[in-house]
Amino acid sequence: MDWRVERLTQGLLTVFLVITLSFVIIRFMPGNPMDYILAQMSGDATGATSGEGGASGSDMEQQYELVQAYLSMNPSDPLHVAYFDYMSNTLRGDLGQSIYYSRPVSDILGRAMPWTLFVLSWGLAIGFVLGIITGSLIAYWEGSKLDVGLTAYSVIMGSIPYYVLALLLIVYMAYRWQIFPTNGRVPEGVTAGLNWPFIKGIIYHASLPIASTVVFSGIASLSMRGNAIRVLGEDYLRVARLRGLSDGVIATQYVARNAILPLYTGLMISIGSLFGGSVILETIFRYRGMGYYLVQAANARDYPLMMGGFMLLTICVVIALFITDLTYGLIDPRAGDENREAF
Amino acid sequence: MTEKPTDRRADDKESSDDVEEVFGEPTAADGGTPIDGGTAAPFRTTSDVSESRTDRYRRIFRNYVVTPFSIVRNDKRALIGITILTIYSLAGLAAIFFVEPTESFEGQPYVQPFETWEFPFGTNQMGHDLFSQTVHSVVPIFQMMIAGALFTVIVGTTIGVVSGYKGGLADRVLSTLTDVFINLPGLPLVIVLAVLFNPENEVMVGILLSVAAWAGLARSIRSQVLTLREESFVEAARAMDIPTSLILYKEVLPHLMPYVMVNTANAARGVIFSAVGLYFLGILPFTSNNWGVMLNQAYEVDAYFRPIAFHWLIIPVVAITVLSIGLILLAQSLDRVFNPRVRARHADRADIDPEEEEGDATMTMGQV
Amino acid sequence: MTAADPDRSMPRADDPIAEVRNLTVAFEMDRGQSRVVDDLSVDIERGEILGVVGESGSGKSMFASSLMDAVVEPGVASGDVTYHPPSGESVDVLELSKGELQELRWEEVAMVFQGAMSSFNPVRTIRDHFVETLSAHDYNVSDGLERARELISDLYMDPERVLSSYPHELSGGMSQRVLIALSLILDPELLVMDEPTAALDLLMQRSIISLLDGIQEKHDLSIVFITHDLPLVAGLADRIAVMYAFEMVEMGPTDELLTDAAHPYTRALLNSTPNLRAPIDRMRSIDGESPDPVNIPSGCSYHPRCPMADEQCREVDPEPYRVDGDHAANCHYWEEAAEAVPAVTEEFDDAGEMGAAATERTPERRSGEPVLSMDDVEVYFEQESSAFSLFSDPDDVKAVDGIDLDVYDEDVVVLVGESGCGKTTLGKTAIGLQRPTGGVVEYRGQDVWQARDLVGDIDIPYEEIRQSLQIIHQDPGSALNTHRRVRAVLETPLKRWYPELDGNDRRERILGMLEYVGMTPPEDYIDRYPFQLSGGEMQRIALIRALLINPELILADEAVSALDVSLRVEMMDLLLELQDTFDTSYLFISHNLANARYITEKADGRIGVMYLGELVEIGSPERIINDPKHPYTQALRWATPELDPDDDPGERPMRKIDIPDAANPPSGCRYHTRCPEAREACRHQRPELVEAEGEEPGYQQAACFREYEDHEYWDSEPITDEDDADSVDSGTGPGTAEADD
Repeated sequence: MDWRVERLTQGLLTVFLVITLSFVIIRFMPGNPMDYILAQMSGDATGATSGEGGASGSDMEQQYELVQAYLSMNPSDPLHVAYFDYMSNTLRGDLGQSIYYSRPVSDILGRAMPWTLFVLSWGLAIGFVLGIITGSLIAYWEGSKLDVGLTAYSVIMGSIPYYVLALLLIVYMAYRWQIFPTNGRVPEGVTAGLNWPFIKGIIYHASLPIASTVVFSGIASLSMRGNAIRVLGEDYLRVARLRGLSDGVIATQYVARNAILPLYTGLMISIGSLFGGSVILETIFRYRGMGYYLVQAANARDYPLMMGGFMLLTICVVIALFITDLTYGLIDPRAGDENREAF
Repeated sequence: MTEKPTDRRADDKESSDDVEEVFGEPTAADGGTPIDGGTAAPFRTTSDVSESRTDRYRRIFRNYVVTPFSIVRNDKRALIGITILTIYSLAGLAAIFFVEPTESFEGQPYVQPFETWEFPFGTNQMGHDLFSQTVHSVVPIFQMMIAGALFTVIVGTTIGVVSGYKGGLADRVLSTLTDVFINLPGLPLVIVLAVLFNPENEVMVGILLSVAAWAGLARSIRSQVLTLREESFVEAARAMDIPTSLILYKEVLPHLMPYVMVNTANAARGVIFSAVGLYFLGILPFTSNNWGVMLNQAYEVDAYFRPIAFHWLIIPVVAITVLSIGLILLAQSLDRVFNPRVRARHADRADIDPEEEEGDATMTMGQV
Repeated sequence: MTAADPDRSMPRADDPIAEVRNLTVAFEMDRGQSRVVDDLSVDIERGEILGVVGESGSGKSMFASSLMDAVVEPGVASGDVTYHPPSGESVDVLELSKGELQELRWEEVAMVFQGAMSSFNPVRTIRDHFVETLSAHDYNVSDGLERARELISDLYMDPERVLSSYPHELSGGMSQRVLIALSLILDPELLVMDEPTAALDLLMQRSIISLLDGIQEKHDLSIVFITHDLPLVAGLADRIAVMYAFEMVEMGPTDELLTDAAHPYTRALLNSTPNLRAPIDRMRSIDGESPDPVNIPSGCSYHPRCPMADEQCREVDPEPYRVDGDHAANCHYWEEAAEAVPAVTEEFDDAGEMGAAATERTPERRSGEPVLSMDDVEVYFEQESSAFSLFSDPDDVKAVDGIDLDVYDEDVVVLVGESGCGKTTLGKTAIGLQRPTGGVVEYRGQDVWQARDLVGDIDIPYEEIRQSLQIIHQDPGSALNTHRRVRAVLETPLKRWYPELDGNDRRERILGMLEYVGMTPPEDYIDRYPFQLSGGEMQRIALIRALLINPELILADEAVSALDVSLRVEMMDLLLELQDTFDTSYLFISHNLANARYITEKADGRIGVMYLGELVEIGSPERIINDPKHPYTQALRWATPELDPDDDPGERPMRKIDIPDAANPPSGCRYHTRCPEAREACRHQRPELVEAEGEEPGYQQAACFREYEDHEYWDSEPITDEDDADSVDSGTGPGTAEADD
């Protein structure tokens, strides 16, 4: 059967398992969200969450209904019914109600998602291209001072946690020199829409998060260097030179195209951690994407929002992986072969 | 070194004079003329002298201690890496015995680093001694790091090796599991679990942070084992009825060790990064003082745009970065310990031409 | 090199296309300069095929690269390589500028490499490779593609399918032929072929060689054909040059060189090359090893291995001595060489000797209870794509399909066939390393897999069976774990089977064995890692490892094919000698009929011929070699080159070059798609092995309808290529070579 179908099945299985996992967590884990919410509501109305939390004194039935609204799950239902309900609600996009924001989780995250994807995809694309170019250059001047310098630089960059770089960026670029804004996604006081000031503002606000993501994927240049050096030693490159092909054809069609392939598979492995990393980056820049809300929810014990964020992030990763997998078939004719290491 | 020096079969048989003749009578009659003109005696040879425990231990010592040490001693990266890790370990140990845990208002707030010998790293807003905080972080951080790295490597290697070598249903189940975990975004999963479990023990934190990190390792180990399984020497071992556990340990694992070593270091780095990151975000409970907590506190008081507090932010960052560099360098050099060519050169023997390696390279070049 | 004395100079060509003078290729290394080509001079005649023969590491590939100034860095070529184009100025290849080189390479001098698979860019189609070459040299692309189509179809492939394929979609034989087509696309004058067939099956090698003859004539080419395999070029080359230790040692017309070689090395090489005719008990391998490029012996570089060497040889490097006409040899005593190293081939007309050795042991010897018995064994492999193959449709590869074979005490059976024919799978099934999907494998009457699974009455425990059936692998490099020393490798079986031995006992026994197989002093070898051993030494270690536990049957999977030609005979002799000492039976696997013949004739064994999972013929070596019954055996026989200048490949006894896909084998007799004798009946019915006509039972059996006295075959219509038009090049696809290897 086609390998694409296999990948798709795998992705769907992951989504299915994640939803199940989240059901199990909500229902069975010690200190699970259901008990937590029930305790919040039956206990004294602290108002810590929101005004609605103060429905103390109401009977169990009412409490269960509230839990149902928050978590898409009625504690009084038998297990299989609850599970089925939860699964179908989740798949229909009903992720419950945020306790902290008192809004549907899907609404909050739905608005946040494009921003996360915007930053990540640009950061990834720029980082990838930069990595390819610098990696090829280092490979071309292998052994030179540039090579030594850039390699050492890459090792040090790999040793510094990416969020530290984000911190440094925000310290200098935003607070000290005030080149870029310290938080937010959109410019204030500008009408939203397809007008230049607004778009400029968006780019302006996204610059630092994107720059941090670029650094995050900057390690690609090191692996590109290694791949290019390996390709330079291949037999087919020697034959191509003997056949008299121009340097341009050799550089693009031979070295670059073959050296990118392992990079691409490497990218597929790191997509998961890239999305994970966005959680910290968005918090540092107070850039309200999915990761930002996930951390907010975690700190506020806003379980519906937290579980929703986790599930949505997972689905994004699965979809991103599937897309990279499909596009890999376009750049490597051997894709789908038995011996291809599938990522 | 993860290999135990006691792999040799502990046959405590002291006398070997009466070993029975295990081979049939040699038919050295007319047929072949053995090359040395003798009989088939070598097939029954036993030694006149029995091997003493000392001999055996000396051999083991040479293989597992002397040679690796000699290799490491001659490698700059390894030396730097080991030095860094040693300094950290000593600092961590010393902290327990000699450095008092700091208290609030031990000194003036915001003493700058290297101003006084009393507070070499300065103090924070509350007058805490940052040096004391930094060195007292080493033990908890190392605990998380070691627990997480071991968890990642043991689970990843075991699942990879088993699914690659066993094949069949076990492989399908384990590979599917691996693929699912690879699809999971690591940090969000950890956040969710951290909120639910609220782990306070350092070892638990380390393991929790590695809960999805093993999958990538397992997948690449699996594909390497798939290749190794088909290698002739593994097949020969199977033909000789060597037990599977011994095949995996003696024939397969040595080939994976360089990769496993590098991944151990990477996993350790990953644990530190995520741990510090999550403490920084305030998601993990502050049970002990560590670099992540320091970062969080510094960030909370906006240390990043107050020059007077800036060192509060920088000190933990430097601590993490140097440790990470040490781990990378050590991992890169450790793979040499498992390279037979390097081992041969460093073995405590004189009769092997030290230039054998180069000689080999010549031959390959001559055949290009 | 002086040409003053006409008797002491190299032969000159009348109309050379290239002249090489004093060519040296050197590498600077830490421990000194390494000369991988040392002061070499040779002429290449316009329109000739020059065979250059040398063992691995003799510098022949460097010589090839120098012809188009393509020595890989950091090697440096010096000397003169003069190229004479058909018209216009002669050029010194080593002095050309980058632009001039670009015009010379591929337009005038082109090259074909050994690893065709790795010579193509994996992400570009074959058409792209042709187009980019044409446009890089400013040739008209559409005319060029037309020429490419013609070249490809001259090489028996479907042009459109090949052009639109990616490199990985071609089988090894096809990509090698495509590479030849690519080398000819700009119509060069001189074609340099560096081991172009070394990675291929014998049948494919011979097919390509026979195509080359036609190609050379059609395109008016001069060819330099570089190989380690002397018989391969015997029927092709006009002249042969022999390289030893980085220089030419002898050069001459093919027939003269083969029948009357003047250099002792050439003579020894001829004597050590297994072939189908030379008397086996006179073959000798050459003692000693080829020299290291950093440390070439003084004087004649062959003197440490030469039986005639004296003071002069040790001190004076011999210049070429003219033997006669175009024949020259670099040996001071070339006139005495024939006496000192008598040729084994001289008596090959004396057929009596050949039969004599074999008559003493007859099929009756194989009448007792077999050591190993296989009954209707089938091994089907599922083609699964990945671990997650819930949807894969079961597309079985029938690697072994219904084979019966018995191996007796002290028996020797050699399985031959193309790669992918299932011979390795059958061998591994025989020794219980591969579980058959059907049929029974019995060791001395005990079903091996029942013993393994503890099913039924078990007379012989699995452990004992396991000890009795051992294996020696093809590639000595991968047969030993690179991470373990010789001592550890050999201790493993001892610890498993003789736990009563302690460390010193094991050491003594290993030392004894090392000495026994000629690795002296053994103390020097016991602590080495595999990379510190030569190929032959590694193979000996693998052999000792198998013998240490005293097995009854050893599967030797291409055990000598990875070794240098001159070492093969020695290794085979050692194997047979140990058989006599230890009463072992052997199941050999080989793709080389000459090696198979050497072993079976010496040990009075049988040769079994396999094709696509079936045993198509089995019999004594003299029957199989001299009177093959099955058309496929005849093709293999044709494909085995001989040391005979008159050995013209002749017409190929096959209708198709490429082997069909093993996952989808032809119906009926599987050979019918390539068989020249095939008739309609062969399409539908599958022949069984029957006793060959005119033979006593037990000597020869073949699975071909032509051996049936009365069969509808004789009345059905012959199959011609036109009928089979639909299955052109059914060999396309990577599935071809998967079942084996």
